[in-house]
Amino acid sequence: MTVHTAALLERSAELEALASGLAAVSSPAGRGRLILLAGEAGIGKTALVRELARRAEGARVLWGACDALHTPRPLGPLLDIAADAGGQLGAAVDDGASPSAVAAALADELRRRSPALLVLEDLHWADEATLDALRLLARKLEALRALVVVTYRDDEIDRAHPARIFLGELSGVQRLSVPALSLDAVAALAEGEDVDVELLHARTGGNPFFVTEVLASAGSPVPATVRDAVLARAARLGPPARAVLEAVAILPLRGELWLLEALAGDDLGALEECLASGMLRAEAQAVHFRHEIARVAIESTLPPDRRLALHRGALAALAGSPERRPDPARLAHHAERAGDTGAVLEYAFAAGEWAARVGAHREAAAQFARALRFADGLEPRQRAELLDRRSYECYLTDRIPEAIEARRQALEEYKSAGDQLRQGDAHRWLSRLSWFEGDNASAEREAAEAVALLEPLPPGRELAMAYSNMAQLRMLAADNRGTAEWGERAIELAQQLDETEIYVHALNNVGTAAVDAGDVTGAEKLERSLAIALAEGFDEHGARAYTNLAATAVQRRDYPSAERHLADGLAYCRDRDLDSWFQYMRGWKARAELEQCRFDEAMESADAVLRTPGVAAPSRITPLIVVGRLRARRGDPGIWEPLDEALRLAEGTGELQRLAPVACARAEAHWLAGDHEAIAGETRFALDIARGVGDAWSGELWVWRRRAGVEEDVEEENVAKQYSRELRGEYEAAAELWLALGCPYDAALALSGSDDEALLRRALEVFQRLGARPAAARLARTLRERGVRDVRHGPRRATQRNPAGLTARQLEVLVLVAEGRRNSEIAAQLFLSEKTVEHHVAAILRKLGASTRGEAASQAAALGIVAR
Amino acid sequence: MGLYVILRRSGWKSGEELEAAAARSKQVADEQMPDDIKWIRSYVLEEGAGSVGTVCIYEASSPEAIRRHASAAELPVDEIIAVADTVVIRPDSVPAG
Repeated sequence: MTVHTAALLERSAELEALASGLAAVSSPAGRGRLILLAGEAGIGKTALVRELARRAEGARVLWGACDALHTPRPLGPLLDIAADAGGQLGAAVDDGASPSAVAAALADELRRRSPALLVLEDLHWADEATLDALRLLARKLEALRALVVVTYRDDEIDRAHPARIFLGELSGVQRLSVPALSLDAVAALAEGEDVDVELLHARTGGNPFFVTEVLASAGSPVPATVRDAVLARAARLGPPARAVLEAVAILPLRGELWLLEALAGDDLGALEECLASGMLRAEAQAVHFRHEIARVAIESTLPPDRRLALHRGALAALAGSPERRPDPARLAHHAERAGDTGAVLEYAFAAGEWAARVGAHREAAAQFARALRFADGLEPRQRAELLDRRSYECYLTDRIPEAIEARRQALEEYKSAGDQLRQGDAHRWLSRLSWFEGDNASAEREAAEAVALLEPLPPGRELAMAYSNMAQLRMLAADNRGTAEWGERAIELAQQLDETEIYVHALNNVGTAAVDAGDVTGAEKLERSLAIALAEGFDEHGARAYTNLAATAVQRRDYPSAERHLADGLAYCRDRDLDSWFQYMRGWKARAELEQCRFDEAMESADAVLRTPGVAAPSRITPLIVVGRLRARRGDPGIWEPLDEALRLAEGTGELQRLAPVACARAEAHWLAGDHEAIAGETRFALDIARGVGDAWSGELWVWRRRAGVEEDVEEENVAKQYSRELRGEYEAAAELWLALGCPYDAALALSGSDDEALLRRALEVFQRLGARPAAARLARTLRERGVRDVRHGPRRATQRNPAGLTARQLEVLVLVAEGRRNSEIAAQLFLSEKTVEHHVAAILRKLGASTRGEAASQAAALGIVAR
Repeated sequence: MGLYVILRRSGWKSGEELEAAAARSKQVADEQMPDDIKWIRSYVLEEGAGSVGTVCIYEASSPEAIRRHASAAELPVDEIIAVADTVVIRPDSVPAG
């Protein structure tokens, strides 16, 4: 029997690109690089990379593949690579290493033994932790003499797929895609076979795997699907060989020989026949299908009783496995298919815990869900604990509706078990989750219920957390006294119980409220809460501390401090999959950029949050306001769509920190449209709350009302001085204060109220420079109405002011280029994707007429953009 | 996707400059933002002293997409206006000669 190999027909261009990549990194001064190899299943990605590895003389080859398991093993492919490599790498990534530890160990290994080719196959199946590790490795790659080749099926990842997001963020990578075979190539493969070549080409779409399967099953008519072709080929094997094939088919990772012995018994003698037929391949102590398509085809046709028996056998053999590391994800997979309730509960739970520990929170949520599918017979308490775990992992990954559903079911279980303590704790969780849904009324109700249930019991950590949760809600509602009261109770109890985590939580709430109230000790408390969270590895509390430090800094318009906390906090959350806080902080970043008139950046940041599917309501409000205000300020259409949604969501929260900015944004939009009558009504509700709590920065509400002609007494002592100056008619003084903060648009707004022609002209210039068309037009009209004649159309675009026509963002990138930073570093610093940085750098080079980054740097010095 | 009119008044000093800009515009739209920007047509405006401007008709996912496209392709934007409705009486006439 001939074994057909189609792999290397019409692949010379791709192979050449891969080989020259490997040659480049292998040179003594080589810099590492990443090549992405995309194509549909069976198109020949693996064959191509195998050929590259065969030719990789002198380079070390490391190889890993992502799991086809329904819920993949966290870090699976990288653990496999480490186990194969052994030595220091093997030791470094043993049990429970984090993605960053694995990335660091891999980088060390690549540094120690170079040049190297690292192949990572089937990224479309990658777990979250593997993507994280790869992201970190990619950043270190330039300093390593290694070529990383990642293969994936581009037709199997949609826009929201984690791998798609990962791929989109990469830059400086080479992207290859493997094309289908031409009719000529198919004809060459079918040489000497009795087959209609044109039909073969049309049916298989030039897919090499499909073509070879058809040819291998020769004699039959051309099958309609690749599955049929595989089955026809398998049908030619004798019964013992088929039995071996079936045993391998239920093992998605690999079929270790010892395991097959257990599953196939004496039939294993027919393994040779399977290998000779070309359907299976042998590697070290294991065999696997030549292609995953074939494995799935065989597995899907197994009779149910046979499949069950095989999975039972695999489960029993693996559970008593001589493997070095018991692999709960693999065991859970077979346990579920074997219908073994006890084993699923044990292994899925263990797999979930492991995934959670290494930060693969999506996989953890899936493993706990798997256990729950088998949990009907459990004691209510045990089932409830599983539900708690599932709910927590969903909460961390911003899947709030699922988190609420699990927590509600847990509550019912605790009720029927008569467990008042856990009922109280579940209510406290539901309070937190309701807040994340933007439903503050439910959050308050659940919070009170939790305290009511827990207070009669002996004081413990649940009660301390319930107190701290009350403090948090009071803090979010800008009720500083309430926050302090509940917070003190929480802190006292937490200290008494020696519960550091709750102490950190409460300290955060009390600190944030104190900062809001203008109390200098607040920031110290928040910083202390952050320091403890970082030291103790409390991810969630670290994220919250960064969030509140950043948000309060933006609120009091302390931009240097805001930017520091945002940069640190965003990096922290991105590295830990803390999506909820990442998105929330990115919205505040957009607001800080808007207020500092960095309009394009604000637009990018806000857009990035709003385009992400499934972002929680509180995280959407701020970017919606930013987009609405940006459109209003630049005179772009569609102002009310985002501002109406923001208002609806903010009303759901009832929180001043969301209602006041929405009201101000809407007031500004009315003012710019000349509709002054609407402003009093838009601001009334938020103003009532602001007066109740005395929030200084809500002074903007008073100012909009005054600008709209509302005459009223203002409680000036409760208003930030930028606003009180304007309210007193000290327009120039107010503007100077705004300029000192770095807010020229606000300065120009303040000047707009003046009667002084010189001040009005200054304001007009600012508006024109910023591209704030409606405000400029308004002011120009005012000036003309006052008889001023030479009101000119000022510079139309901000770009005309900058040297060489660079935009503000391009200037920023250029400064970093001149400092010798790499694109990846610039992207990290500015929170852009590397792709965007690449576009900016290309535009900068073009505008400066420079051909290298070095030339651009000296041009920048010549133009006085950076110091020489 | 919504329909928008974009005014770029006196954006270029010559027809050649405009041509180069048009090539950048098409490239950015087709290669970088195919899901967000579809350039339908433009009318080139005589702005006097050899300079030219344009009125462009785009389909876009949002005003922000138009801004991002303009920034990437280095095109000026004076004003973006949402189109409420289209009334076509007859096709554009082809200029003689």
